[in-house]
Amino acid sequence: MEMFSEQLINGLTIGSFYALVAMGYTMVYGVMKLINFAHGDLFTLGAYVGYTLLVIGSGWATATFGVWGGVILAVVGAMISVGLAGLVLEKVAYNPVYKAGRLPLVVSALGASIFISNGIMAAWGPRFQAYPQAGIPVGSLPLFGDVRITYVKLATILVSLALMALMYYVIEKTIFGAAVRASALDKDTATLMGIDFKKIVRFVFFVGPALGALAGVFAGLNYSRIIFNLGWTYGLKAFTASILGGIGNIPGAMLGGLLLGVMEALFEGYVSGAWKNVFVFVILIVILIVRPTGLIGEKIAEKV
Amino acid sequence: MSNFTRTIFERINNSQSGKGARLNNKRQQRILLFVLVGLMLVFPLLPFITNYWIDVGFFVGIYVLLGLSLNIVLGEVGLFNLGQAGFYAIGAYTTGILFTQLNIPIVLLLPISALVSGGFAYLVTTRIIHLKGDYLCIVTIGIGEIIRIVANNNPFGLTNGPNGITGIGNPDFGLFSISTPTQFFYYVWIIVALVIAGLINLQKSRIGRAWNYIREDEIAAETNGIDVRHYKLVAFLIGTALAGVAGNIYGSKMMIISPENFTFMESCLIFVIVLLGGLGSIPGTILGAAIVVIFPEIFRQFASYRLLFFGAAMVVMMVFRPGGILPRRREKAGFSGLGVSNLPADEDKYIENVVARGLVFKRAAAPAQAARPVSVLADKEYKVLETQHVTIRFGGLVAVDKFDLNVREGEITSLIGPNGAGKTTLFNGITGIYPPSEGRIIFMGEDITSLKPHQIISRGIARTFQNIRLFPSLTCIENVMSSPHYHATAGAWASIFRTPRQKKEEQSILETAAYWLYQIGLWEYRNELAKNLPYGKQKLLEIARALASSPRLLILDEPSSGLNDKETEELMEFLSKLKAEGFTLLLIEHDMNVVMGISDTVIVMDMGAKIAEDVPSKIYNNPKVIEAYLGKDE
Amino acid sequence: MAVLLSVENLTVAYGAVEALKGISLEIQEGHVVAVLGANGAGKTTLLKAISGLVPIKDGKIHLRGEDLSQHLAYQLAAMGVVHIPEGRRVFSTLSVEENLNLGSYSIRKTTPRQELKKSMDWVFELFPRLEERKKQLAGTLSGGEQQMLAIGRGLVARPKILLLDEPSLGLAPILVQEIFQVIRQIHEEECVTILLVEQNARKALGIADYGYILEIGRIAIQDTAAALRENEQVRAAYLGGGHVQGAAS
Repeated sequence: MEMFSEQLINGLTIGSFYALVAMGYTMVYGVMKLINFAHGDLFTLGAYVGYTLLVIGSGWATATFGVWGGVILAVVGAMISVGLAGLVLEKVAYNPVYKAGRLPLVVSALGASIFISNGIMAAWGPRFQAYPQAGIPVGSLPLFGDVRITYVKLATILVSLALMALMYYVIEKTIFGAAVRASALDKDTATLMGIDFKKIVRFVFFVGPALGALAGVFAGLNYSRIIFNLGWTYGLKAFTASILGGIGNIPGAMLGGLLLGVMEALFEGYVSGAWKNVFVFVILIVILIVRPTGLIGEKIAEKV
Repeated sequence: MSNFTRTIFERINNSQSGKGARLNNKRQQRILLFVLVGLMLVFPLLPFITNYWIDVGFFVGIYVLLGLSLNIVLGEVGLFNLGQAGFYAIGAYTTGILFTQLNIPIVLLLPISALVSGGFAYLVTTRIIHLKGDYLCIVTIGIGEIIRIVANNNPFGLTNGPNGITGIGNPDFGLFSISTPTQFFYYVWIIVALVIAGLINLQKSRIGRAWNYIREDEIAAETNGIDVRHYKLVAFLIGTALAGVAGNIYGSKMMIISPENFTFMESCLIFVIVLLGGLGSIPGTILGAAIVVIFPEIFRQFASYRLLFFGAAMVVMMVFRPGGILPRRREKAGFSGLGVSNLPADEDKYIENVVARGLVFKRAAAPAQAARPVSVLADKEYKVLETQHVTIRFGGLVAVDKFDLNVREGEITSLIGPNGAGKTTLFNGITGIYPPSEGRIIFMGEDITSLKPHQIISRGIARTFQNIRLFPSLTCIENVMSSPHYHATAGAWASIFRTPRQKKEEQSILETAAYWLYQIGLWEYRNELAKNLPYGKQKLLEIARALASSPRLLILDEPSSGLNDKETEELMEFLSKLKAEGFTLLLIEHDMNVVMGISDTVIVMDMGAKIAEDVPSKIYNNPKVIEAYLGKDE
Repeated sequence: MAVLLSVENLTVAYGAVEALKGISLEIQEGHVVAVLGANGAGKTTLLKAISGLVPIKDGKIHLRGEDLSQHLAYQLAAMGVVHIPEGRRVFSTLSVEENLNLGSYSIRKTTPRQELKKSMDWVFELFPRLEERKKQLAGTLSGGEQQMLAIGRGLVARPKILLLDEPSLGLAPILVQEIFQVIRQIHEEECVTILLVEQNARKALGIADYGYILEIGRIAIQDTAAALRENEQVRAAYLGGGHVQGAAS
């Protein structure tokens, strides 16, 4: 039971990362029909920007606002700067290539991914970096029995859930969210409604990477060590999560992320840690064979 | 038909001068090729070339193999495969494990590695091959990762985990063994040369063309007789087997292999080689491999920045030259690019002979006809096609409602009706694209209701599409060569080794295609890319492609839409001619002048159901028809 | 009466194919103008060119003297050009209510809430069934209901000119009757100017003031609807029996 609870907490933590990153994939895919391969690397960029902000700002911010103040500064700073990076990415690597077709777009995305991860390596070095101890909040909350949850994990799960709720509200309940979904379904008709498609594109390319950056900073706070190619596995698993939930579908990405995180953690706890990634990718393949529309996606027929 | 082609000979004569330039160009290419091969031969012997650079040359060879292996899947068929390193790993690990555990000679393991890698790929891809673009891409990434992690986890103590397998031996041919850098250099490049020779033969065969048809337009390929699923699997099998070969050679050279050699980054590199060179281009792949291997060697001192530049270069390349550096130029190669042997140098002499000889592939006789006297050419009472109560539903929407359609032999039957009446859907039902929800479709006495599109064309039904579905980046002659595909039988091996029978088949395919291209009046455009033709000519090209399958029944979906008056008139004349030759035609048509001018029977469809069927002169005054078209009087 | 929309010498090309070959037409304020013609005549292209969905190669389009080509496609809805596309094109995974709300997306910031609500109420009055199915996903509606939704979604944008593309496409006769009844009602109650593209010539001419017959990208005939109803050439253009000649003016 203790093992189960611990793995559940671990699963929810890592699932939060997957869900946050998956939302970025799914929004970009929904609107642009593009797998943004560089998205995982924007997650890494977020982790590094957060790291730097904590290192240079921790003394001052921690002294002024306490350790959580430093964390908030790092999170907000990382989200804004990575969101802007997302806008630049769209402008430079995707916008000029749309007309050339699918394949060049995939290559451009891969190129952008390689560029960002190696740019991070060039800027911060090829070795692991550790988040500054002084900047990471310590302590834990007892739940029941011997089961405790660290404040960092608790914050990860709560902040992620709060942001997911916010995103759910924006996308599913507001008129702007309806405009985003309408643009994903039918760009031309959305334009006839007076929806500026370019604005929608800017929205998804800012918000998606910003959410990824949030996950990146929290990953750094949870596991302390970060490396330049950290985002690759997270990215691939988050993409798996978005397929699990049904790609192009925001609630699906959230559900898929949390579910994948919990399944992975339970597999790790009860079966094997070394094989957990194989488990995740087998899930991916099985879903695509059995139910390619995901848990809550709908089938779109191809018109001849 | 002669007025279609009257002016063509004049035009051909005018274009003679261009041909000389092409031949000259060809000679230059041949000289360039000799120089390059010569350089490759003497490269390791040059005094200033160190072992280090000979090894670089070896690795270029390995990556050429890997690039070619992926080029088949990605370049020729257009399937996104980002897991090629996994199959490369399977080849290397098969070699490593079988050599170290069972001491099987490396040379023997070369074909075994290919088989294991290809066989594994075949097994895993049969279930996922239908996935589209990005989805397939993600699955192949997953497969590549699974393979790497499995190797890393040392199952049954076979792979030795992260440390990898050490002590792999050298290729030993009994009399001599391959061990020095120079020997390995020649070893890998001889294999590369053999592979390229085989691949060129494949590229210029019905197999290679089938792959390209799929890449250009899957649905058009399927309706023109290409078993899309089968040819995708064949491509995966051959491609991954080649990656297995590369794995074997790599393992025997390095003598040690570990999971680190086969990461996602490796798959990306192979992907980039193909894209950098140009999809489906063998010279492009070689150049791409050379760039990817040599570029980082030259910039060694900037080691930590080279991937940064590399990523940026990929983006810049896609922005400014998405087609690659050396894309395959089909329109330049002309007929010599088709791989058919014993072609006369003069393509116009060729077509004269072809036309003189007549059709190669004859239409199959109707089963009912076999018993009849030969003198009866077309039996007007014989129903070639019959749909019985065909219903096609999409969700709750009934697009076609219990439709009975009879098409009599030798007639032109036209299906008309307002927009959205369900005409095209019915055509899609007949040709197997949307299998009917209910009812049966009988063609020449055979129930074809549940057949796939590629089987239906082989029964003798060919079609065109409302919105033109050509293979845009292939030449006109290649477009038309698609539909005789099913008449031939040569497989991959026969194509690689160019057996006499395969050569004969290829000649027949070309002859049939050339015959129809000429008949429809597009011979002068034979080496143009289909996408560069004006709209009206594209429509004609699609009809020629359908005819080249030697169909019993030709189904045309709005053949005259988008044509100008003159083109429409020519089309009508051509269709009448076809009828005179004994073809049976079924049309959807909106131009009433065409319908009334050439049809024997007109069937009117509205809201998915038949509202009238009659001879043209009576349809015109049928009140139901007037109502369907013009609406009810208030 | 003033000219609301004028199209001068409009040419539109898809690649090498010219879908419209220099057509000119004028629409008076408050009129219903029908554009008729066979498949492929260029009717839909005309509407798409007006609403900015396809780039124009040559010619001018003016709305009350303002050049529409100076604006981006998404800005036209706010100017009162509302296009209800062929085939309904409702947002299938959005609810009926969301679809309707998106209809007024372009004017929601510049229009008082009561006004928006008034238009919405009017739509519900025209199509009571939409109100009943407010919460349902648009994709689950029947064909006729989807057409109503598409029209309603256009109306809440408070159009100056409504571009209606084949509203009767694929509908059962009884529904066609109903839809045309509503179009008439829209015109009479709110005096909305309508450019109506239809295959159903009699129905369209029954409610139109003026009509144009297109043939392969050109205007073949134009006249008052009353005159066109009596014109044998219209019938010929639809059902064949000799090309329409010399009628273009």
